[in-house]
Amino acid sequence: MSVISLKDIFKIYNVGGEEVRALDGVDLIIGENEYLAIMGPSGSGKSTLMNMIGCLDTPSSGIYEFEGEMVHEMDDNQLASIRNRKIGFVFQTFNLLPKATAQHNVEIPLIYGNVKRSKRQSMAIAALESVGLGDRMHHKPNELSGGQRQRVAIARALVNNPSIILADEPTGNLDSKSGQEIMAIFDSLYQAGNTIILVTHEDNIAKHANRTIRLLDGKIKEDISKLS
Amino acid sequence: MFSLFFENLYISVSSVLANKMRSLLTALGVVIGILAVTLMGTLISGLDRSFEKSMEFLGKDVVYIRKFEWFGSKEWWEIRNRPNIDVKHAEVLRNRSQFAQYVAPVSDWQTSIKRGDKDINGVRITGTTDEYAMISTAEIDIGRFFSNSESHSGARVAVIGKDIKDALFEDESSIGKKLKVGNYIFRVIGEVEKQGKFLGMFSLDKQIIIPLGTHERLFTRRGWTGINVKVNEADLGDATEELTAMMRQLRHVRPTQDDNFALNRQDPFKDQYSMIKLAIGGTGLFITILSLVVGGIGIANIMFVTVKERTREIGTRKALGATPKMILTQFLMESVIICLFGGLLGLGLAWGGSLIINQYFPSDMPMGLALVSLGLSMVVGVISGLAPSYKAAKLDPIDALRYE
Ligand SMILES: Nc1ncnc2c1ncn2[C@@H]1O[C@H](COP(=O)(O)OP(=O)(O)OP(=O)(O)O)[C@@H](O)[C@H]1O
Ligand SMILES: [Mg+2]
Repeated sequence: MSVISLKDIFKIYNVGGEEVRALDGVDLIIGENEYLAIMGPSGSGKSTLMNMIGCLDTPSSGIYEFEGEMVHEMDDNQLASIRNRKIGFVFQTFNLLPKATAQHNVEIPLIYGNVKRSKRQSMAIAALESVGLGDRMHHKPNELSGGQRQRVAIARALVNNPSIILADEPTGNLDSKSGQEIMAIFDSLYQAGNTIILVTHEDNIAKHANRTIRLLDGKIKEDISKLS
Repeated sequence: MFSLFFENLYISVSSVLANKMRSLLTALGVVIGILAVTLMGTLISGLDRSFEKSMEFLGKDVVYIRKFEWFGSKEWWEIRNRPNIDVKHAEVLRNRSQFAQYVAPVSDWQTSIKRGDKDINGVRITGTTDEYAMISTAEIDIGRFFSNSESHSGARVAVIGKDIKDALFEDESSIGKKLKVGNYIFRVIGEVEKQGKFLGMFSLDKQIIIPLGTHERLFTRRGWTGINVKVNEADLGDATEELTAMMRQLRHVRPTQDDNFALNRQDPFKDQYSMIKLAIGGTGLFITILSLVVGGIGIANIMFVTVKERTREIGTRKALGATPKMILTQFLMESVIICLFGGLLGLGLAWGGSLIINQYFPSDMPMGLALVSLGLSMVVGVISGLAPSYKAAKLDPIDALRYE
């Protein structure tokens, strides 16, 4: 069953009278429990596609269906709601709230989802334990290493049991050892049945995935699934 | 939505605490505004209280017949040749007026009073009759007032105010003791209860009351004379008309001439006082509005800076599912918290200020006004936070996330 279905998606920017086609007619179907890597040269539209899938952005034209819901017709409030309930984001630059503890950072999506305090806390603790940070609950981001920060971000992304987890170059700001640790977490999340989509430049990151698409100038040039 | 409220409260308070100095400077306008409005309220409440007491002294139902108006727009040259009030007319008014309940002639003079080696200067000596006690709102709390027969005799008896008792007798009893008024020896027969100051200006307790007969004999005709007439409050208008007509006749004022005397009542004090109150209130309100407006602009400015500084945070929150409305309330709350914090600070300072005002005349900070001013500071918070919060709410999540 497909979670995401993109049909003939265009994203067109107008820069100084010139048309920039960040996405130029993309068709893409992603099923449940897929592990997808998006690759391609800089400026090829990877982040744009990622933002589109993550409901942060809406297409200039085309049809986007997420679990049967028509995302391309949604207003800001509906988009916020679907992001909150169905999507977990992991950013290259972590994007944690600097003044909040690890636990509080993980609770943020639950606060916006109106989850009660006691339930929220136990969910956040469970998520942090699942990424191996059970002993760093009350640390603030500046008291954590880069790898640990990214693990907090992953805990935050998976705390509300989203349908998909999106990661835009999640290891881009990490040394290779921390990067491998992060990828191990994604692998185990995939094993546990999650759907994971990540953007990367690096082949040895992409090889963790079981499907890889390559973008060029806003178009999908290659779509390869590993035989498992 | 409860958890979101606490999250917003938490964010706001920690952001205010993280930038203590900045928050303080930002809130300064609100602090001054709230300080001004509550201090003004305190001042007016104190003035009200002291004014009420002073008006009580004058009485609502007493007409004071005097040579001059207490308040008037007449030129000095028009009125300076008016003859003095003849205290003998008091008797005539009492006999003829159908409204007068009590009539007391008064004749005032100032001198010093001695007892042994103690003395007190600038005491008002009032010569009057026994009916004065019926007209005055102040009670005799020790001893007695002089009688009708003593009133017109030359009896050397005196009823003293508390200032005189305190200065000359201290803790001793004054009744039956002797004291010297000018060069004459008097015997104290009573004390008037403590009255305090009249409009905060002069003490009503620095007075000694003696029989009119004695006053006329010893202090000749120097000083001020007048007639105090007590009427029924409901008859005040009619009584004034009647007394005016009688006084005109007694003083031989021709029909074409203006009155050459005045019938004073407490009302013009009230008019005068309302004007003063209006002036204080107006000034206070002006300062308040000015500082709240300036303060509000400052807060709006700082909130724009805050929104800019936290653009990435806003992007992140939106990615995690915050709706525009949630972001709006987050920043509105922050601006309200800054203002509320300023308002509380202003109230604290005003409370300190009211303690100081209290040293000069009894007053208290009106609680209602304190609550209203807290509400006002929140309104300032909402208004000045509106534009920056709206800007934050409308930020595009991708632009916000990409913001360096
Ligand atoms: N807001 C925008 N306004 C105009 N053009 C934009 C905007 N956002 C993206 N683009 C353009 O769209 C194209 C795709 O950008 P995108 O960020 O998706 O690339 P990318 O594949 O993620 O590159 P990188 O690997 O460098 O992150 C680029 O040519 C970019 O200049
Ligand atoms: Mg990119």
